[in-house]
Amino acid sequence: MALLDQLESSKCVETVWGKLIPEKEAYQYAVRQIAGFCANLFQVMRILEPDFEKRTCAICDISYMMNMAASGEEYMNQFFDEWNIPEFCKKDAWLGAIFGDSGDEYENMAGRVIQFTHDRVEKELDTCPWDIVGAELCNMTTAMFTANFDLSSPNGENQVSLNMCEARGCGDRHCRVVAERRDKYDLPKQGWMDHMQQPVDPVHDTPVERGVRQGQIIRNDRYSQAFGEEKSFTWAYRWCMEKGWVWCIAFPLIAIRDMAESEEEFERIFKIVFATAGKNAFMEPFAVEAMRTYLGVPHDIGSNDPRLMGGYIKNVLDTQLVPCKLERFTKDEVVIKVDTETFNGRFPMAPIDELTTGYEVLWHNMVKTMVSAEWSCWFEGKDDEYMYIHVGRKVDKRMI
Amino acid sequence: MLFKDDAVARAQHQAVRENAGWYRWTHDLVEVTGTDAEKFMDRLFVGTITKTPVGRTKYTTMLNEDGKIIDDTIVMHVGEDLYWVSTLYAPQFLAWAAGHQDGADVACRDITKEIDMYAVQGPKSGEIMNAMLAQSVDGLKRFAVADNTLDSVAVKIHRSGFTGELGYEIYCKAEDTETVEAALRKGCDSFHAPELTVLEVYVRSLPVEKGFALRQDMYGLTPYECGLGWSVHLDKDFIGKEALVKAREEGPKYKLVGLEYLAESYEDIAQREIVYQYGVPCGFVRAAIYGYTVEKNIGFAVIEAEKAVVGAEVTVGCNDSPAVITEKCWL
Repeated sequence: MALLDQLESSKCVETVWGKLIPEKEAYQYAVRQIAGFCANLFQVMRILEPDFEKRTCAICDISYMMNMAASGEEYMNQFFDEWNIPEFCKKDAWLGAIFGDSGDEYENMAGRVIQFTHDRVEKELDTCPWDIVGAELCNMTTAMFTANFDLSSPNGENQVSLNMCEARGCGDRHCRVVAERRDKYDLPKQGWMDHMQQPVDPVHDTPVERGVRQGQIIRNDRYSQAFGEEKSFTWAYRWCMEKGWVWCIAFPLIAIRDMAESEEEFERIFKIVFATAGKNAFMEPFAVEAMRTYLGVPHDIGSNDPRLMGGYIKNVLDTQLVPCKLERFTKDEVVIKVDTETFNGRFPMAPIDELTTGYEVLWHNMVKTMVSAEWSCWFEGKDDEYMYIHVGRKVDKRMI
Repeated sequence: MLFKDDAVARAQHQAVRENAGWYRWTHDLVEVTGTDAEKFMDRLFVGTITKTPVGRTKYTTMLNEDGKIIDDTIVMHVGEDLYWVSTLYAPQFLAWAAGHQDGADVACRDITKEIDMYAVQGPKSGEIMNAMLAQSVDGLKRFAVADNTLDSVAVKIHRSGFTGELGYEIYCKAEDTETVEAALRKGCDSFHAPELTVLEVYVRSLPVEKGFALRQDMYGLTPYECGLGWSVHLDKDFIGKEALVKAREEGPKYKLVGLEYLAESYEDIAQREIVYQYGVPCGFVRAAIYGYTVEKNIGFAVIEAEKAVVGAEVTVGCNDSPAVITEKCWL
C-alpha cells in the first residue's frame, strides 16, 4: 500500500533524529524494557535473600495478596461482562483462565489455550519477554493466577491446583500452566513451592513448526478470546505500559523491600545492581554502533556527544508512552522534561518511586560506556510536578 | 483448541453424532412483551416475525443501519405478545432495542438468570425425551416450542439445537434446575448418553462440521456475505434494509467460507489469524477446530469475495500453514 494511504492508519515513534520506529516494534522494545527492569530488581532480591525458597515464597505471598486486593468481586464481575462470558460458564472454573490468557497476550507472551474445560485448563506459551528474569517470577505468576481462581470460588476455598510445569525462565522451550480442579483430580491444597509439579493429565506439546514468535496483537492487530470479544493492539499497548509494571515490579517490590534490614540497605543494594546493569549495557563497542543505527544517529554526532544518551532516553520514554519534551539538545547538554507523576506512576494506582531511582542510576552508569566517563545523567525536581532529566558533564571526586 | 488425539472430546462428539449427549447451556435470554411486541420484533430482525405463530421459533439476524450483522438469534414466540430472544449478547441486545423503541408499547427484560436451559442432542434424543417427559415430543416440529412436564416440573421443550442433529432444548425455571438436571442425567444415563463437558465440542466441533457459525464469526458482514440470504425478507421493513439492499446490488465484499487446515494441527492459528493468498493478505480466520466426524482440522474464514473460491489454496498465519477454501459445511 502506498505510504500516502497509510499515513492515517500506521503509527510510529519518531526518534530525535527522525528515524521512524513502527508502533509494534516500539511496543516490543518497551515490553522488554519492563522485563529488563524486573530482571535487575530480582537481582536485588537475590542479594538480599540468598535462599531461593524463602524469596520465592515471599513474592508469591505478596503478589497473591495484592492480586486479591486489586481484583475484587466487582472487578471480576465487570471482567465477566466485558468479555461476554456466557452465564453458564462457572466463574470459579473459567474466569481465572480467561483473565490469564488476555493478560498474556497483552504482554506479548505468545501462545495458546490448549485446553479449556470446567475441570482443566492448559495454557502454553512459546515466548515470554520476561523469560530473562528467572524462576522466582515464574513461580510468582502461578500465585497471581491462584488469586484469580480463588476470587471466583463460590465458597472462598482454593479449588484449583495450578502448576507451571514448564517455564522458559527455567530453560524450558515452553511455559505451561495447567489448572486442574482439586476435587476432580483429588489434589491437595498447594504451598507456594508446590506449583512447579507435573499435572495429572498429560500435556499437549506444540511442535516447533507450529510455534509462534509474537502474540496475537502483533500478528493480527488484535487479541481475540474464546467468546469472540476483541481488544486492539493499540489498546493492549496502553494497557501493558500501565499495568505491565504492576505485577512484575510493584508487587514484588513490597516483598523485596522487606527483605532488607533497613531502607538504606535496600537503596544501597538497589543502586549498585542498577549501576552495574547500566555500565554493562554498552560495554561492547559494537553495541553503541547498533544503537546509532537503530535510532538513526547521523555521522556528525560524534562518539563523545551527550545527545547519544539523550536520544536514547527520549526513545525509551516515548516507547513507554511517557509524555516528555526536549528542553535542551546540544553537544554540551541534554535536558528532558517529564511529568513526575507519570514517570513514577505509569499505573496511577501503584506508583513506583523506584522507577526514578532505578533509571537515574541505570542511565548515569550507562552513559559512561555509551558515550564516555566525562558524562553523567541526573534527575532534578524529583519531588516537583515536572522532573528534568539531565545528561551533562559533572565531576565528582566520589563518583561511583 | 481440540486435537485429533483427544479421546474425551472425540467420545463426546461421537456420542452426539451416533447416539445422544446432553449439556447445560443457557444462552442469554431476553423476554419481549407488549402489544407492539410483534411489530417491534419484526422491525429489529431480517426475518418475518409476524408470520411466526405462537409455539414456533425462528432463526434470524439483527442488523445495524449499515446492513451489517450485529447479532444472530432464535426468536421464540412463546405466548400472545410474548417473545423470548435467545442471544449470546443480552446486554447489547437490550441497549439496541432501547434505542429503537420509538414509543412502542414494548418491554424488554433480561431473564437469563431466571431460566435455565439444557440441551439433549443426537439421533436418539427424541427417544430419550419421550422416556422422560409427560407428553411425547413426536409431533413437535423443528423450530417449535411447547410446554411439557419433566419429573413434575413445568418445562418448555424447544426442538432445536446447535449440533446439526435431531435435538431438543429444555427450558426450566432456575429454581427447578437441580430437579431437571437430576432427571435429565438419569434419563440420559439409561440411554448411555453422556454429559458433554468439553465446551468446544458442542460450541465448535459439532456445529462447524454442519456449517453452523456463531455471531462472532459473522459480525460486521451482511447476511448475503454469510450465505444467509435465504433468511432476509425484503418484502417488509427492518433496520438496515436500505443499506442491505444497496449492498446486495453492489455484490459482496467478503464471504464467510469454510477452511480446511492441511497441517497436522493448528496451534499457531488464533481466531483472527490472517489468511494469505500467494503471500498477500486476503482475509482472516474466524474459527479453527478439529472435526471428529470428518477427521479434519476445519473452520471458518472471512475472505475477500473475489478470492473466496472453493478449492483455492491459501496459507494461514506466521508459519504459512497450508489450507484450502471450502464450502462452509462438511456434513
